[in-house]
Amino acid sequence: MDLSAKFTFVIACWAVTFITVADCAIYPSETSGDSARKLPSAVIPVSQPSTLGSFYSLSLSSTFPEDLNEYCIELLRIYRQRYVAYANCLVTYARPVKVCQNCYTGFNSLDGIYKNISSDQPGPGNISCHDSLMRSDRLMLLYALFNKLDEIWTSAKCKQCLSKDQEALSNDTVYFMATLNQSLSCFEQYQRNHTELCKDCKASYRKLKELYGSMDKNQTLCIDLEDAMNITQQLWSKNFSCLLPREETVPVIAVSSFMLFLPIIFYLSSFLHSEQKKRKLIHPKRAKSSNSLMNIQDKFN
Amino acid sequence: MFKEDMANIAKKVSWSSRGDDRGERAPLLNGAEDGKHSNRQFSGGGMFHVGSRSTVDLEEEITPEEDIVKSRLKEIPHNEKLLSLKYESLDYDNSENQLFLEEERRMSHMGFRCLEIRRWVICGLIGFLTGLIACLIDIAVEELAGYKYSAVKQNIEKFTEFGGLSISLILWAALNSAFVMVGAIAVAFFEPIAAGSGIPQIKCYLNGVKIPCVVRLKTLAIKVFGVICSVAGGLAVGKEGPMIHSGAVVAAGVSQGRSTSLKKDFKIFEYFRRDTEKRDFVSAGAAAGVSAAFGAPVGGVLFSLEEGASFWNQMLTWRIFFASMISTFTLNFFLSIYHGKPGELSSPGLINFGRFDSDTVQYNLYEIPLFIIMGALGGMLGALFNVINYWLTIFRIRYIHRPCLQVMEAMLVAAVTATVAFAMIYFSNDCQPLGQDSTEEYPLQLFCADGEYNSMATAFFNTPERSVRSLFHNPPGSYNPLTLGVFTLVYFVLAVWTYGLTVSAGVFIPSLLIGAAWGRLFGILLSTITSSQSIWADPGKYALIGAAAQLGGIVRMTLSLTVIMVEATGNVTYGFPIMLVLMTAKIVGDYFIEGLYDIHIKLQSVPFLHWDAPPTSHWLTAREVMSSPVTCFNRVERVGRIVDVLSNTSTNHNGFPVVAHTTENEEPGKICGLILRSQLIVLLKHKVFVERASSRLSQRRLQLKDFRDAYPRFPPIQSIHVSQDERECMMDLNEFMNPTPYTVPQETSLPRVFKLFRALGLRHLVVVDDENRVVGLVTRKDLARYHLGKDGLEELQLAQT
Repeated sequence: MDLSAKFTFVIACWAVTFITVADCAIYPSETSGDSARKLPSAVIPVSQPSTLGSFYSLSLSSTFPEDLNEYCIELLRIYRQRYVAYANCLVTYARPVKVCQNCYTGFNSLDGIYKNISSDQPGPGNISCHDSLMRSDRLMLLYALFNKLDEIWTSAKCKQCLSKDQEALSNDTVYFMATLNQSLSCFEQYQRNHTELCKDCKASYRKLKELYGSMDKNQTLCIDLEDAMNITQQLWSKNFSCLLPREETVPVIAVSSFMLFLPIIFYLSSFLHSEQKKRKLIHPKRAKSSNSLMNIQDKFN
Repeated sequence: MFKEDMANIAKKVSWSSRGDDRGERAPLLNGAEDGKHSNRQFSGGGMFHVGSRSTVDLEEEITPEEDIVKSRLKEIPHNEKLLSLKYESLDYDNSENQLFLEEERRMSHMGFRCLEIRRWVICGLIGFLTGLIACLIDIAVEELAGYKYSAVKQNIEKFTEFGGLSISLILWAALNSAFVMVGAIAVAFFEPIAAGSGIPQIKCYLNGVKIPCVVRLKTLAIKVFGVICSVAGGLAVGKEGPMIHSGAVVAAGVSQGRSTSLKKDFKIFEYFRRDTEKRDFVSAGAAAGVSAAFGAPVGGVLFSLEEGASFWNQMLTWRIFFASMISTFTLNFFLSIYHGKPGELSSPGLINFGRFDSDTVQYNLYEIPLFIIMGALGGMLGALFNVINYWLTIFRIRYIHRPCLQVMEAMLVAAVTATVAFAMIYFSNDCQPLGQDSTEEYPLQLFCADGEYNSMATAFFNTPERSVRSLFHNPPGSYNPLTLGVFTLVYFVLAVWTYGLTVSAGVFIPSLLIGAAWGRLFGILLSTITSSQSIWADPGKYALIGAAAQLGGIVRMTLSLTVIMVEATGNVTYGFPIMLVLMTAKIVGDYFIEGLYDIHIKLQSVPFLHWDAPPTSHWLTAREVMSSPVTCFNRVERVGRIVDVLSNTSTNHNGFPVVAHTTENEEPGKICGLILRSQLIVLLKHKVFVERASSRLSQRRLQLKDFRDAYPRFPPIQSIHVSQDERECMMDLNEFMNPTPYTVPQETSLPRVFKLFRALGLRHLVVVDDENRVVGLVTRKDLARYHLGKDGLEELQLAQT
């Protein structure tokens, strides 16, 4: 341990002592556990280096005699397990994306326990863990963690791939998978010869595309299907380069140049044939020679 | 003297009322030209030679007869140095005649209060109706364009696979042409004044020029219909400019409480049936139009201030602001219903620049020089735009003046626009992946890989508004520089070519689009040069600045445009850079050529009065400026003479000084008042003759209301029948003339006359000698003909158009 670390350690100890002392001084009765627990968060912004975090939290927890009740600890434990399981699942199926197909059970169970904690209904022993677990500190860790994962789930639109009760994959999804597999197996078949592939797998690929298009319209797509489709499209267009050929350059150029030629003809012909618009000048009467000139002209008329 | 004088003049087609005077003086011309001045009271007019154009006829040494024949037939090709006779002034000066005073006396205090309330109600109605029209245009364009693009898209998709894309090309061109044809036919054959953006016309109207038909209901209908057709037809145009015209028409219609086009009179708002009141409402309407177009109520008010109203007061401003707000709110409300989210007021204008989040697209101090450079660039490109459009417009006026040719031209432009766009898309290799929240309504894949779209198509295969928005907001990397460069070039050419066609369409959006394209290009190049991922990297910001620069370079609006841009982006932070850019663009652009609207006003030969007289004109005096001699009437004038003067087609005067009866022939009479053609016509129509006074006792006395009922389309003199007996009757003008017209002495300098004329919104300014005798009359055309050309002061010529 170098000098600076030692120094911070001393500061940390000092801060902890201070907190405890302050705690006793301001709230001698300790009746209001809520506010007591809030206090550290208010004072801690003295800001300790994170290297000392583990030691510090350890010492802090030991200083609070009264803590969460058994029920809430149990809930927290379950939450932890499910959270880990779900996060594990997400990371496992991150690439290529298969989270919706594989992690919906995990999400459902995590969602269940979260709802359980956050519901205000008291559990056994008339205890509500909502406040103590979720809203006791500034960080609101359980909430934030769940929220992030929920956000991921929502943005992945996994719900659209699941059946109504969220317990199984929807029929559409299963059907799409089957269609996708057809295409992929076709691709496998013609791995060697790309021109053949483009020709022979076109039917199945087109079917897949149409299905995808219709599902897109019905909003029954989720990230799994989108990603799978994306990869397939890339295989098709980039790897096998089954692009549409640009064959019609000549007719397009011909038609375009004909169209561009028309205005030239139009302007030329109107320049040559249309008689130019002339303006008749009029001489205003002025207090000078021109007015008399006008008068003569009038007489001649 | 009077009798024979009258007999004389009945046969003559002349400028002058004093026939005998002319008869005596005419021979003098054949002799020395200088000599004839000596026997008139004003001398020193001979040195009046401004510029070379005006004096050509006099300097050539030719015999009078040749001279006459030549100048009679003198016809020149249309150019910008002409003033058309067809435009007249509006009467912004109130005629305080006896009828007016009587009416004012009759009106109670409560009456004036009610008037004020009615003004507010009218402004509210103007805002509401303008907002509704904007909404109608927006929805119609959306639907039609949606239909067109989805049809073409399906077609292209089908043919990309099986071949035959040239057929898609033809389909697209044909659809475009069809839309544009319908719109162009409506404009060219039914109401040519509805062509273009209408901003020049409204500018002229607010300046005090009466442009025929400009604020009629028919014009509005054609305008709205035409703009829907031309935007749906895929021309490089916007629907924002026409909104301003539409707002103005709505205002002119609503404030009058009737429509002469429909021949329907609701008998309300009768008090407002005169030019002064109507003008105020029209400026409110123009503001409401801007406000609906850009979602910029303050910008609208400032637009009215900047472009039009030289007549401004605080209450009027407040009312105009009210109309603007109502207009943008109405549009917002109805569009929210259309989009299925009633009450969610998130689309305040026809063009929505989208939200610029201030933390992602902030700017830094060191970027300001770059913005100024962009402003200068915008000024130059704008000037180039204007120069090309100027020549094109001259060509159009000279050669493409037949309606069927105009329709054909518009159709050709539409077809070529589609063709060029298609070719660009076809040959573009710029493919971009389809985003999650892609703003592209109609992504075209064409030859791109699956899951990608053609980037050129986002710019071309879209309504221009959407293209602008995607240029502003698409994330960095959505366009490659080549695409943007080609797009800028092509769209520039198309936009120049399109503006001035006989379709109703505005220039705002195309300018914004050109500017956004090169601005974005600029931003991309910057970020590649600096290669650091700093705030340089956001090209959307540069797109916005570029758009402002280009638009400023073309239309040269300053204050109002700054506010409009700030309001449309919803970001005050950009106020400063946008202002700088617009200033630079204007300064640079003005060095080369004027703004687009001013060019078009000039090319229309409108006698437009700018803010000030030309700076080097102090040596000109009223004597040289005025028209003379003046056709005057006596206080009690013979009906026959009035009819003769009025029906003289070669003169077509509108204001006549009323003089005290004088016996001497040579001496002009002392001024007693001024009477207008419109008043005389109403008097003739009601046969207000002295001889009939006894029989008229039983009838109702003529009131101001009778004059208002005939407004604004006074019948032509030919339609009024005056029998031979009646010609000998006398008419007493005392009661009806304006007894206190503005007059100036002969020695008043031109800028002084100009200032008086412009500030008071006059139509006639009488020039008198030291004994208050009428020696001349200054009208708008006398003042508007002076302008500062390349080599000093130049004079415009009057022409029949």
